[in-house]
Amino acid sequence: MAGRSVHIWFVAPAITLMCLILLLPILVAAVLSFTDYSLGNTSAEWVGFENYEKVFTRTTYEKMFTATFTYVFVVVPASVGLGLAAALAINSLTRFGDIYKTIYFLPVMAALLAMAIVWEFALHPTVGIVNKTLVKGCGSWLEVWGWYAYQCANGFPLWLTDKNYAIWVVAFIGIWQGFGFNMVLYLAGLTGVPRELYQAAEMDGARSAWERFRLVTWPMLGPTTVFVVTISCIRSFQVFDTVEAFYPQGGGPGKSVFVMMFAIYEKAIQQNLMGIGAAITVIFMSFVMGLTMLQRWLVERRVHYS
Amino acid sequence: MTDTTLSAPARTERVTNFRFSATETLKHVCLILGAVIVLLPFYVMLSYSFKSPSEIMTNTGGFFGAQELFRDDYCIKLGNEVADCMVKPWIYNYTTAFSKAPLLRYLMNGVIVTASIFFIQVLVALPCAYALAKLRWRGRETVFSLVLFCLLIPVHAIALPLYIMLAKLGLTNTYAALIVPWTISVFGIFLMRQFFMTVPDDLIDAARMDGMSEFGIIWQVMLPTAIPALLAFAIFSVVAHWNDYFWPRIVITGTRELFTPPLGLREFKGDADGDNFGPMMATATVIVTPLIVAFMLAQRRFIEGITLTGMK
Amino acid sequence: MASIALKHISKSFGDTQVLKNVDLDIHAGEFLTLVGPSGCGKSTLLRILAGLEAPNDGRIEIGGAHMNAVRASERNLAMVFQSYALYPHLTVAENMMTPLKLRDLTMLERAPVVGPILARKKYHALMGQVEATAKVLKIEELLGRKPGQLSGGQRQRAALGRAMVRKPVAFLMDEPLSNLDAELRVHMRAELVQLHQSLGVTFVYVTHDQAEALTMSDRMAVMRNGHIMQLDTPHLIYTRPDTLEVAKFIGSPQINVFEGEAANGSVRLAGKALSLRVDPALSGPVHIGVRAEHLLIEPAARAAGLSGKVTYQENLGSDVFCHVALMDGKAKMIARMAAGGGKSFEVGDEVNVRFATEHALIFGRDGARLEVESKAKPEPLQRKVA
Repeated sequence: MAGRSVHIWFVAPAITLMCLILLLPILVAAVLSFTDYSLGNTSAEWVGFENYEKVFTRTTYEKMFTATFTYVFVVVPASVGLGLAAALAINSLTRFGDIYKTIYFLPVMAALLAMAIVWEFALHPTVGIVNKTLVKGCGSWLEVWGWYAYQCANGFPLWLTDKNYAIWVVAFIGIWQGFGFNMVLYLAGLTGVPRELYQAAEMDGARSAWERFRLVTWPMLGPTTVFVVTISCIRSFQVFDTVEAFYPQGGGPGKSVFVMMFAIYEKAIQQNLMGIGAAITVIFMSFVMGLTMLQRWLVERRVHYS
Repeated sequence: MTDTTLSAPARTERVTNFRFSATETLKHVCLILGAVIVLLPFYVMLSYSFKSPSEIMTNTGGFFGAQELFRDDYCIKLGNEVADCMVKPWIYNYTTAFSKAPLLRYLMNGVIVTASIFFIQVLVALPCAYALAKLRWRGRETVFSLVLFCLLIPVHAIALPLYIMLAKLGLTNTYAALIVPWTISVFGIFLMRQFFMTVPDDLIDAARMDGMSEFGIIWQVMLPTAIPALLAFAIFSVVAHWNDYFWPRIVITGTRELFTPPLGLREFKGDADGDNFGPMMATATVIVTPLIVAFMLAQRRFIEGITLTGMK
Repeated sequence: MASIALKHISKSFGDTQVLKNVDLDIHAGEFLTLVGPSGCGKSTLLRILAGLEAPNDGRIEIGGAHMNAVRASERNLAMVFQSYALYPHLTVAENMMTPLKLRDLTMLERAPVVGPILARKKYHALMGQVEATAKVLKIEELLGRKPGQLSGGQRQRAALGRAMVRKPVAFLMDEPLSNLDAELRVHMRAELVQLHQSLGVTFVYVTHDQAEALTMSDRMAVMRNGHIMQLDTPHLIYTRPDTLEVAKFIGSPQINVFEGEAANGSVRLAGKALSLRVDPALSGPVHIGVRAEHLLIEPAARAAGLSGKVTYQENLGSDVFCHVALMDGKAKMIARMAAGGGKSFEVGDEVNVRFATEHALIFGRDGARLEVESKAKPEPLQRKVA
């Protein structure tokens, strides 16, 4: 009542910061992406669409898109699928479910950079625990598996420095880090499924667990899935820590792990090519914002913020 | 007739019972396999942080290593007696972690940065959320749409223009550079607004009748009732910024005094040779441990906090 | 103690007008109830009086002083909310102390830790006031607990306590009993009335429950669509409602309405003249209202009255509500009969319906009640004009 304009004092700081920190940079990026600006230069030339042209034609950036989309299209389905599988399994357990939940969530809590360094260690071609363990299996029944026999004979892969493996290993670490988060979201979603629905499904003749899953669980988890997929996409698009830890220069063997965030970092921060960096930023942002908008549109058909 | 109808349910029950335990075992096998893979790097990290360089190289010594004394060459280089320079591997690893680089300083920086970020985020977000949820004013819907729009923007994605702006202001390599971009948490505003919507209007009216100012209502009525949501948000915010590597990497170049824990570890790795694997793993352990321990102590709250984004 | 006057109060939210030029005089020390269906504007009126809402137009006076521009907390009113609105993070004692602290202590004295040390005496005095109030409400043992640990009734008392400590000139209550279970609600009605009597302070009470309004108030204002339709004692509202609307809203079961015809000073129902007299100038259709307890049902053998059929019987223990369909189901009446009072009917019985004409209320076509002179037993008219 007293002081009709008191709300201005409450929202002004937030709005100011929102404009300065979130909206203005978008504008800055958009403008710079049409210039050849670099820090330290007093002036910048207007170059039109040249930066975008480079990004969409040069092989370096072709590799960037390949690496980024490979990473996203591997990590998202795998971490969502594993998250769902783990959640369903844990949810149906009578005992020890909480222990698994805790363990699977640990990678989410740990600094990804630190864990990347540890993984690099574990995957070290000669002293790493992974290859040392794999070597021990040589000569056993495991050699039935062709790949395994071949590697036993010719030495196990170099993993991170092998052009054929690098992106997949980085993606594996992404999955390792992210699926616990998805699992927890799915577990939360599962608690929202009313028990009566399962009983009703049973009464209606859905006898197998698979039928009940298809009839009740999957549809009821729809909104969760939409959200989990979006957030996984956004997180995967933003992958940086592992790449920078493994390949501080150049983006991996044959640029096979040259993901977008790293490209921005390398071009703009390391090489001071702000125009190119800004162009990648703009493309990157349109991906991420487009995705979120798609998710909102999917969800908004059900939920409305009151 | 009667016999068959009676026996049928009994039989199915026995069958499902048997199947039940079989599938349960299968599930456990799969989950344990998963757990082994998930825990592998944690095992490596912790184990190597205890071991001597030679044990790491040869992959021997089990989890803790044999803990045989070994010669610290650096110590001998300083001119000390060989006998004085014999150390237990795990002590060597952890003391080196703290002495070779100012790890304590890094940890303190981490605390300063994460705490300031959270504090300012709350200071900015709470009043705004209150005004959006509980006050009637013209333009409220517009501001809320702005909030919803800003939710779309991941701060990491606009790192480059932010960096340029900070560089132009001469703010790179300062605490401000680490903190400023995160002072506005649109998500925090959204989250608190949703929470405040559930606070009954009566409570606010009662506070007004009691003579509280609008400002007093925010900090004395809304804040205490919002503690659970705020705690969850705190965990969300602290975990994100303690572990953040990308942003500090960009704005802090060279000045070690401002390194956050991940930056410190990265620097360690940069000049690591064979001898330094142990101390490096010790550093990693030290950096990862605080959050893991906190998580173990308050699991439910942590999971709640981290999955908050699910409320969007 | 102070009288309260609300003059020409209007209020709209956006396009919807919630209050339309409302006038209300509240006498010092009375228990006044605002009653009406939800959305009638009663809560808004109370909130305007409290100062939580500003009227678009009109004037608020408390004890003769103009209050429009005075802040809610400075009007010296106390409010009890439907949800109790206790601060969930504070104990009952702290809840009760909050208004006192905000009124009597300076900013510094209110500061945590430092405040209680600096102003120990003042805190002591305030605690004394809190304890005295708690004693009156018999909630001393609850002072250390938080609202979450209290039952509904205890929360209700704590909320009352918070309102009472500051010794306000008037208590405003917004449906304070509606969150309680039925038994406790009836009990708290009596307690509130006793509290009102012992405090002697003005109570303004908002409810949608006509039973509360009838049992508790000195006067009640029946509201609908942003108007006060009638302001009177519960007895007069019940027996002499100004309009058919009021008559229909107050009283349970709802008043029975017969459609009759007025001509030459008499009222005819189903062709027969009733033994009462109205203004001879009046002619045309009228509504005849008869409360359930004044409707008589007799076996069809007796010829007098209207014939109908029993469709349903509600046995409430002490009473039986007998639903009767008249005129082949075109009209439905409810009669209240004492249970086991000798007469009993079965569903489907043919019956005759009569009523005592001295209790009949006649409403004109516009719904306004018409003055009636009963031929049988004239009742002295003593109506205050609102």
